[in-house]
Amino acid sequence: MKIGSLIFLTSFLFFSQTLMAQQGAFDQANTLLESGKPMEAMQAYRNIETDGSVSGALYLNMGITAMQLDSFGLSKFYYLKAEQFPSTQSQASEALIYVDSQFSRQSAILPKLPWDRAIDWVNQKLTAFGLFLIGFFFTLAGLTLLYLGWLNKLPLNKTFSTQLTLIILGSSLALLAFYADYVNQRYHEAVLVSSSQRVLELPDDESPLVSIAYEGYDLTVDQWESKEKDGWIYVRLGNGQYGWTKPEGIKVL
Amino acid sequence: MKRIGKLRHLFFLLITFFGLSGLLIAQDIQVSANLSETNIFSGEQVKLEVSVSGSAMGSVKQPELPQINGLRWLQGSTSRGTQYTIINGKPSVTYTFGYVLIAQSPGEYSLPPITITVEDESYQTESIEFSVLDPASLESGDAERSPDIYVRIEPDTNNPVVGQQVVADVVLYFKNGVEVSSYQPTPGWKAEGFWKEELNYPQRAQTSSTIVNGVRYQKARLIQYALFPTKSGELTLSPFEITVSVRARRSSSDPFGFGLNQERMTLQSVPVTLDVESLPELDNAEFIGAVGNFDIERSISTNDALVGESIEINTRISGKGNVPLINKPKYNLPETLERYNPEETSNIERNDREISGNRNFRDIVIPRNEGEYSIPAKRVAYYDPERSDFVIVRLPELTFNAERDPNAPLLTEKDLRFNVKPVTGLANWKSPSATPLHERTLVWILIFLPILLTIGAYGFKKYQDRMQTDSAFARSRRASDKADRILEEAEHTDDIKTGYYLIEKALTQYITDKLNLPPAGLSHSDLIDAVDKFADKELTGSLKKLLDKCETIAYAPNATHKTLSSDIEQTREIIKKVGKLT
Repeated sequence: MKIGSLIFLTSFLFFSQTLMAQQGAFDQANTLLESGKPMEAMQAYRNIETDGSVSGALYLNMGITAMQLDSFGLSKFYYLKAEQFPSTQSQASEALIYVDSQFSRQSAILPKLPWDRAIDWVNQKLTAFGLFLIGFFFTLAGLTLLYLGWLNKLPLNKTFSTQLTLIILGSSLALLAFYADYVNQRYHEAVLVSSSQRVLELPDDESPLVSIAYEGYDLTVDQWESKEKDGWIYVRLGNGQYGWTKPEGIKVL
Repeated sequence: MKRIGKLRHLFFLLITFFGLSGLLIAQDIQVSANLSETNIFSGEQVKLEVSVSGSAMGSVKQPELPQINGLRWLQGSTSRGTQYTIINGKPSVTYTFGYVLIAQSPGEYSLPPITITVEDESYQTESIEFSVLDPASLESGDAERSPDIYVRIEPDTNNPVVGQQVVADVVLYFKNGVEVSSYQPTPGWKAEGFWKEELNYPQRAQTSSTIVNGVRYQKARLIQYALFPTKSGELTLSPFEITVSVRARRSSSDPFGFGLNQERMTLQSVPVTLDVESLPELDNAEFIGAVGNFDIERSISTNDALVGESIEINTRISGKGNVPLINKPKYNLPETLERYNPEETSNIERNDREISGNRNFRDIVIPRNEGEYSIPAKRVAYYDPERSDFVIVRLPELTFNAERDPNAPLLTEKDLRFNVKPVTGLANWKSPSATPLHERTLVWILIFLPILLTIGAYGFKKYQDRMQTDSAFARSRRASDKADRILEEAEHTDDIKTGYYLIEKALTQYITDKLNLPPAGLSHSDLIDAVDKFADKELTGSLKKLLDKCETIAYAPNATHKTLSSDIEQTREIIKKVGKLT
């Protein structure tokens, strides 16, 4: 009992100190930003991110700093990251509208299919693990009814349809969670932060040009396909075109 | 037609005369000897030419041939020629003395230096190695079977590494007597798996003599390609096709040669397979795809720039090898620099049987904020086939300082009309985790948990069903509990006789339930017989002794609670042992 308490106390102190260190470094970076040293501030923010701690506030401030450094592509990248945190979602969305209006070239955006939007919603709001847990509890509820029926605590015949529905629904949700996770692992949203990038039909400099992506363009990177060719990534442009491009200047969310 | 030869001759003699008036003997006299063949069959004739040349010289005596082992001079076969040339405005004369010799016995020989006397000065030629071959050593029929003319692709190596230059010559072989008046390669020859570059080569192909399988051929190198394998493994050079115009020997139907015997032929080389080896692994530098011998440099256009000014980072790779296949080194440029697509230029030379030149890469960056910028040092590597190893070049760190133009307005949040303010308070920190579902232990536990639960619940259901439907099974499962309850009652009784009665009841109950015997109407001996079928003698004896004691306890005057307790424990032991029998 005493050893357990000691471990708990040690862990608590360790986590508290880590959190305090992050917050302290964050405050210092904010001071640098406020005193008109955006470059140093950006470096300080990056150090916090490299140490393995992130927050919506961190990314929002990095976006603002990138704007002060006159890199709108990078700024958009950080605002998109900040948008994924509930605490900074609205501010990041507002900033994104402004940043998008500053790019000299705008990409045509093909709306996503409902199915893709649903998968995106699962990954962003519920998370695949959350959906899997929901599926698990549905399945467990159906099985519990079945067990009670076996133990003659519930009439098995009367609850059969409910059991079947719960088990099938729960298993389907769990499978859907795996699919959403597969999509999440394979396709990553990205932003072009360099001035322009050529998108080619094949991973070859001599290959025909598909399109040219410009700073601020939203891209979807196919990570699995990209593993096939070193020094190239396979991307989908906002207008639905696919092609190969060099990874320089592309920041993956 | 104008006759100008004699005029030129006269002009030259005049110059020579006036030039020699001061008795100046030229100091640039050169002598040489040349054998028309160096692989000669025994009995075959060969021509030896001795030349002496210079810008001005007096009398030149006919050289006397020394004793030449392996060759015999055919007396009276000498010839003499004179040639005048003007090179860069300077006149030059060349005297050539020809001799016909006949090859003697087979062997390896050396033509000794030949002495030439010019204006009482003696000069010597270089010695020449030659072989006299035995015609009898040839397989009969080789000469008849060999084609009059054919074409081959001859690479200079058959085992290159990926990216190494391979010089492939397209060589035409034709027998003496066959006159090739022109040739035309068929366009579109492809070298699959190679990057191909045609090398510069004299328009007029030079011929030389060679012996192939005992047959003398003239060979002419028509075209040269530099080939660079782009992958490892066995790569095959497809047949090269060429059309030649040939004037063949006179046929028997045209013994006087009235017909031209001109013929157009299409020739095709045989495929040539090269075994291309892959490059070794490299882990401490970036390989830029260069194979050859190169110099690699990196420079920056300025070290002091204004914010918004473009800065060039130039990388120059020059040398010999696969210049056009070289990739741009990847630099870790500061993220705050605005980057533009790099520019690439190449300058390639195709002379002297190799590809050389330079490849330049220009990265253009623009600092958008003032400060000190650094482009880290970089280790790049190319592969040197002569060393059979990578050569690593360290490109030093580049730095530059960017200052804001005092006339340029400072970019502020207010100017941007941007209303989002930085968050300066406490933040909610979390660790970014993107572990895939299938790599989470908890997920697998949650998958297997319902399966295990279902298996357990189903087993329990089957147990319950059997307890309700199988009375023997139910009696057997409940026997122990019943016996325990009776023995507990015996422990708490004050009456010794009642205690032993309960012991007897517990044993009878347990044995009949466990062994599925009728619950009533069995004597002690029936019970002992039933147990005896499964148990050893010791257990049966203990059981009999205990049952007998229970039966005769009324006649035991010294029975106490202590012996009762001891017998209750013994009963438990017996029940435990009987329980293990089934």
